[in-house]
Amino acid sequence: MAKEIFMPKLSSTMETGTLLEWFKEEGDTVEIGEPLFEILTDKINIEVEAYDDGILLKRYFDTDDQVPVNHVIGYIGQANEQVPAESPGESGESNESNEQALQEETVAEEAERPLVAVSVISGEKPRATPAARRMAKTNQVELTAIAGSGPNGRVHVKDVNEYVNEDQAHSKITPLANKIAKHENVDITTISGSGLNGKIVKQDISAAIQEKSTKAPASSQKRRKIGGMRKVISDRMSQSAFTAPHVTLTSEIDTTKVKELRVQLLPIVEKQTGMRLSYTEVIIKAVGLVLSRFPAVNASFINDEIIYNDAVHIGLAVAVPDGLMVPVLKDVNQKGLADLTMEAKEIGKRAREQKLLPDQLKGSTFTISNLGMYAIDAFTPIINQPETAILGVGRMLEKPVVIKGEIEVRPMMTLSLSFDHRVIDGAPAAEFLTELKRVLENPFELLV
Amino acid sequence: MLSTMKLPSHITEKKLKSLYKEMWLIRYFDEKVDQFFAKGMIHGTTHLCVGQEASASGSIGVLQAKDKIISTHRGHGHCIAKEGDVNKMMAELFGRVTGYCKGKGGSMHIADVEKGNLGANGIVGGGIPLAVGAALTSKMKNQGYVVLCFFGDGASNEGSFHEALNLAAIWDLPVVFICENNQYGMSGPVKEMTRIENIAERASAYGIPGKVVDGNDMIEIMNTVHEAVEKAREGNGPALIEMKTYRWKGHSKSDAKKYRTREEETEWRKKDGIKRFKDLLIEEKILSEEEANKLQEEAKKEIEEAVKFAENSPEPPLESLLEDVYA
Amino acid sequence: MTEIKIREITYLEAVREAMSQEMRQNEDVFILGEDIGVYGGAFGVTRGMIEEFGPERVRNTPISEAAIAGGAVGAALTGMRPILELQFSDFITIAMDQLVNQAAKTRYMFGGKGKVPMVVRTPAGSGTGAAAQHSQSLEAWMAHIPGLKVVQPSNAYDAKGLLKAAMDDDNPVIFYEHKLLYRTQCNVPEEQYSIPLGKADIKREGKDVTIVATAIMVHKTLEAATELEKEGIDVEIIDPRTIVPLDEEAIIESVKKTGRLIVVHEAVKRGGFGGEIASMIAESEAFDYLDSPIKRLGGLAVPIPYNPTLEKAVVPQVPDIIEAVKETVRFK
Repeated sequence: MAKEIFMPKLSSTMETGTLLEWFKEEGDTVEIGEPLFEILTDKINIEVEAYDDGILLKRYFDTDDQVPVNHVIGYIGQANEQVPAESPGESGESNESNEQALQEETVAEEAERPLVAVSVISGEKPRATPAARRMAKTNQVELTAIAGSGPNGRVHVKDVNEYVNEDQAHSKITPLANKIAKHENVDITTISGSGLNGKIVKQDISAAIQEKSTKAPASSQKRRKIGGMRKVISDRMSQSAFTAPHVTLTSEIDTTKVKELRVQLLPIVEKQTGMRLSYTEVIIKAVGLVLSRFPAVNASFINDEIIYNDAVHIGLAVAVPDGLMVPVLKDVNQKGLADLTMEAKEIGKRAREQKLLPDQLKGSTFTISNLGMYAIDAFTPIINQPETAILGVGRMLEKPVVIKGEIEVRPMMTLSLSFDHRVIDGAPAAEFLTELKRVLENPFELLV
Repeated sequence: MLSTMKLPSHITEKKLKSLYKEMWLIRYFDEKVDQFFAKGMIHGTTHLCVGQEASASGSIGVLQAKDKIISTHRGHGHCIAKEGDVNKMMAELFGRVTGYCKGKGGSMHIADVEKGNLGANGIVGGGIPLAVGAALTSKMKNQGYVVLCFFGDGASNEGSFHEALNLAAIWDLPVVFICENNQYGMSGPVKEMTRIENIAERASAYGIPGKVVDGNDMIEIMNTVHEAVEKAREGNGPALIEMKTYRWKGHSKSDAKKYRTREEETEWRKKDGIKRFKDLLIEEKILSEEEANKLQEEAKKEIEEAVKFAENSPEPPLESLLEDVYA
Repeated sequence: MTEIKIREITYLEAVREAMSQEMRQNEDVFILGEDIGVYGGAFGVTRGMIEEFGPERVRNTPISEAAIAGGAVGAALTGMRPILELQFSDFITIAMDQLVNQAAKTRYMFGGKGKVPMVVRTPAGSGTGAAAQHSQSLEAWMAHIPGLKVVQPSNAYDAKGLLKAAMDDDNPVIFYEHKLLYRTQCNVPEEQYSIPLGKADIKREGKDVTIVATAIMVHKTLEAATELEKEGIDVEIIDPRTIVPLDEEAIIESVKKTGRLIVVHEAVKRGGFGGEIASMIAESEAFDYLDSPIKRLGGLAVPIPYNPTLEKAVVPQVPDIIEAVKETVRFK
């Protein structure tokens, strides 16, 4: 029996992976544990190792193909074994918890409409008559969504008819997506849903709105179909921008004391870690401290629920060739500057080398985007969903400032805090930023 | 007096009396069956051997218990002569579970393997090669039994007849072929269906002895069959014996008998084998008229009993439908 | 325009009439078989024919199935058009070599030279209490042999027209007559007419389920349909009439319409022709229209028993058909 090679599910939110590269050709010998191919998940490249010895019999996908998790992408087996000409789709070896996780996400988007759910055992194909299958295909409904009236839940034409004849808006689009579509005058009949069973979810609407509003420049000479990481970023950014009402607050900070602190700590940290402490780590430390005092800003907004995170995990936006990655520093408020320096350097390097582990990309509760190396003062960063807020860090610039009636030149830096107005309001966000300003202007508190 | 009669040595007076009664059993059995068919009480079809009793009783009468017979679609007489149980036979015709074939075979498929009756057969000539095979077993296992193979004049025109005779001949098998020539293969007069006077002449084509006997003469039948059987038993190979006889009834239940004349039927009735045997037994003082009548009466009663037995027997249960078939 | 004369005659009379009319106008046609002379054949089909045509053209044969079947092949090969009556279809087994290895293959083997225009008429089926060796339905054997055409008329009208087509055909045709149909009657035109081989007949129009039934089962299915109609179930009955050639198109179209298929034949289900029809549908475009599993009703895998109750139980009966239909249309 040839063994399935499937798209691994590397995080609970991962629905698809992009195939970047095969390390083996069809016909090559593969040893168990040998890197077999490389994929890109939410924001990470990862090498996937072979689970079986044998010959790489078949590769169904190639570079830049997006493949759903648990989907069969190839086979390993013995020479001359027969394998399907096309991918059989869902891997028979997938486990149930993945399946459920996938379903839960979308089911949570469902309204209260009672749906007679069919218990589809993972890996088991839905039972349906040929006529029912034909009809389901014509009407673009998934058989798994239909409760069959036949023996063993077999779906008959009658069942498909009933399902299709139910209120179309209800059966094929989530209530939220429907609301946005109505509000934005989006014609949902032209949209194919990306949710479970082809349901239209809010991000499909967002994409449609974006499509409407973007017109390709008339004189465009070069075109490029986006794929891989670009696609991930584009999806996630638009999803965030179009679902979360963003408000950005800015505040100027006098970094005189941060500079002093850094100068004093540089040799100590370097001695401990062999690495140089940068402003970034100081800011991270400060943000971590303040976040622990403002749980509302350290919250995640998932499925209309606000989840107040105990831990403070800070994502750090890192520019990489043709993209952006957000590696995560865990439990920031429990770590000293030396540790943070080490970790931040480590993940930055890994990010640029595209060697981040899935775990280093997961679980951030707040993100910092630092554009201080450019001539940027303030900007409106887009929130890294499902976080509540993101902090944009601008350049440090010596500016004349008025201090106690005197004009002084001080190193100033603008912080921009974008927050999700669904989760918090202006006042608490402003309080957070004000407190952050206070901590950074008196940074010795960070050492306590 | 038995001493004045030329008969095989093992045939006793007692045996002769029982053969006489047996002939009446056969006749009453088939007459009764005819009656039930006419009343529509039995379904399917049947083939009666009324008028041919001597062939069955005389031939089988000289056999040893271990010897075997193969019968035809007209097989009730052979079964009774091979010590068949008339109760089981009648029950079978009634389609009852107590019948020989549990009600599943009917008239044409009655067999009593334990008694050495390898069965009636619905296919004309179908049983002839089977007899050859049964004789082959006897020879290979040295079991000493002989197979008496019955068939009709019609069957002698089937390929199976010719192939089987040749095979039995070249292997010297202990089988005796008995052709009951009752003048008609269903409606085909033997004169129109063969060019030869006697079917027994066909034996010469296979290098075996062929003999014609009066198929309604018990004594001639017993002597001729006994001789052939014992020769076969001794390893001298098969023989073909033709019994010239007549069936009084039609071929089967729905036969208008258009192919023959009333006169012909009357002529043959005069040659009734039972009557001739009775006259002989009385003449030889083996039976008195009274004793003969008593035996006939007993036979009649036994058949009446058989009818009662059959009528009181249960139908086969539906669950038995799939029994006895391997796949 | 001559007026068409239609009378009600039996299936048996229709077969006899078809033969007689053909023999009156075509000298090459003759009939041979066991007891077909004065006896009129085991079931009386040829009754009166020897009186009209004489023993030369209504040839009473010895009981020699291999010889008479082979004789028919040889005669057909040399310009005659014989009709062979095999007394019971069970006896086809004895004539098997002549039909399968000779009649079916001769023309092809000879590279298209010569032809074998013969018809084998033979009574088939159970229900008469004739037990294991006189009650079989072996049409699937014949259908399996390339070179043989196989006909199973279910009523007098079809029998006459199909027999005409069979006699006109230049190939060997096995013509099965169900014993229980001989006495059934329907309206039959007096003059000759031909029903092309390979043309199915819709015996009843309906929308809920397609039943393909052959021979006696057409009648049982019609009976079942009448019962089912009372419950609002509308059965379509297709009688293929000839299983070789098979009118696939008619069956496919019907199944596309109803989305359900049941095949009913008396022959043993295992290896029966129902399997062929079911497979044909599974391979056809009608597959996409199936909304219930295909069902086959056929005889149980046992020899035909003698006892009348068991004999009925061994082959599909009206209640079995009703039950199968209800099971199949449950998801309407």
